[in-house]
Amino acid sequence: MNITNENGKSLVNDKNKKEDVKIVAFLCNWCSYAGADAAGTSRLRQPENIRIIRVPCSGRINPLFVLKAFNLGADGVLVSGCHPNDCHYSEGNFYARRRLEVLKEFLPFIGIDKRRFSYQWVSASEAQKWQKVVINFVKIIKEING
Amino acid sequence: MVNILENKLKEKISSLIEELEIIIGYSESKAPLKVNPVFIKTKEEIDRLIFNNLCINNLATYSYYLAADTKGKIGIILKPCDVKSIIQLISEELLIKNKIKTIVIGCNGIIDYKKINKAVNYQKIISAKLDENNNNITVNTVDESFNFRLKDFFAEKCYTCNIYDNPPYYDEFIENDFKLNLEKKKEYEDIEEFEKLGLEKIYKFWEEEFNNCIRCYSCRNICPLEVCRDKCIAQLDEPHWQSQKINSSEGKFFQMIRIFHLAGRCTECGECERVCPANIELLKLMKKVNQIILKLFDYRPGLILDMKPPLLTFKNVEQNIKEEELI
Repeated sequence: MNITNENGKSLVNDKNKKEDVKIVAFLCNWCSYAGADAAGTSRLRQPENIRIIRVPCSGRINPLFVLKAFNLGADGVLVSGCHPNDCHYSEGNFYARRRLEVLKEFLPFIGIDKRRFSYQWVSASEAQKWQKVVINFVKIIKEING
Repeated sequence: MVNILENKLKEKISSLIEELEIIIGYSESKAPLKVNPVFIKTKEEIDRLIFNNLCINNLATYSYYLAADTKGKIGIILKPCDVKSIIQLISEELLIKNKIKTIVIGCNGIIDYKKINKAVNYQKIISAKLDENNNNITVNTVDESFNFRLKDFFAEKCYTCNIYDNPPYYDEFIENDFKLNLEKKKEYEDIEEFEKLGLEKIYKFWEEEFNNCIRCYSCRNICPLEVCRDKCIAQLDEPHWQSQKINSSEGKFFQMIRIFHLAGRCTECGECERVCPANIELLKLMKKVNQIILKLFDYRPGLILDMKPPLLTFKNVEQNIKEEELI
């Protein structure tokens, strides 16, 4: 898929398309961001394709954040928050789950592969899960980009 | 038959006008195939009211701002499908139930004038006349005269309608003996057909469609449920969601804003698509979201007065959502 920015310029570097995938990750402050941080401090190797944006809660994530990221040339968007029932604000991720699921189902209808978007639950102690999620997600995106 | 219905309507309005500050209805338009909304305040004006197969406008659009600007009660003349918009507004507490009197008319089916324009090869239409039995319409262009069967020109939503004689909510109901004998289409049939195209073709399709978008915001302004207007994030400077450039991706993104504002709320009245000057198939996007909402949350917007839209609420365990783990 050819993703362009506002000026119609392709944001995907054609030369090493496979290596140069850009992934935007929205992480909730209390679980997933801490989890990703823990993965870093415990030196778990992970691909460098992820750009992390920290948000207060997964309930803060507007589906439009994801679509805007795609619009500006992201190859994939990953959202991660606390496990259901573990939200710092008690119910933010329940709202998020509904919205993000609707978004995920909707993406193919505007011609974006469903697999380019994923939402996961990673807690602060699950550094290893975070590593696996990142590795697998990057692998999937590289596969789609071809 | 239409005349009987119109007379019934006028009688009803005469009996109600004392208690209502303003009544919104349909009136003749100078443009052929179209009707105008009319705002009635006095008894003398009641004669201007009409109701026929051309009344495609959804007058619920005016309800929110009019209710905010008037002190008294307002009356709105609605088709059974338009009532859904009012129900949705009330269920979201955007309208107060006591402020609005819904006067619902049993529907004869409505004509989509875009279909007629297509049938006359986009020639300029000078005049159009419905016949008395409500079966045919005569359309005169500059050179030719056409006679069409109404049945072939009903709006798409009429083919899946099952509430034309049975509105889900009303204060006053004007019954109509008419039976809408249309060949029923399967709901979301067109969506499923469109999805068979495959990702790449779909992406191309929307890219081309939105090349035409000039972002006039008509689709937003006509929508009865998009009451955000002044606060619309498409026109905010801070945060700056959208540039005012006109191109395909900005046009598409504006629709995404609309879609996620209307997810689980859109009553599929089709007004956005009707007013679009670029003839973009906007309703397709809305229908898809509604299909998803129906599948995931078993919810149809605009049918139940005291039910929250699914995205404003949640369940601890979601039965229809299967999360995919990436491990």
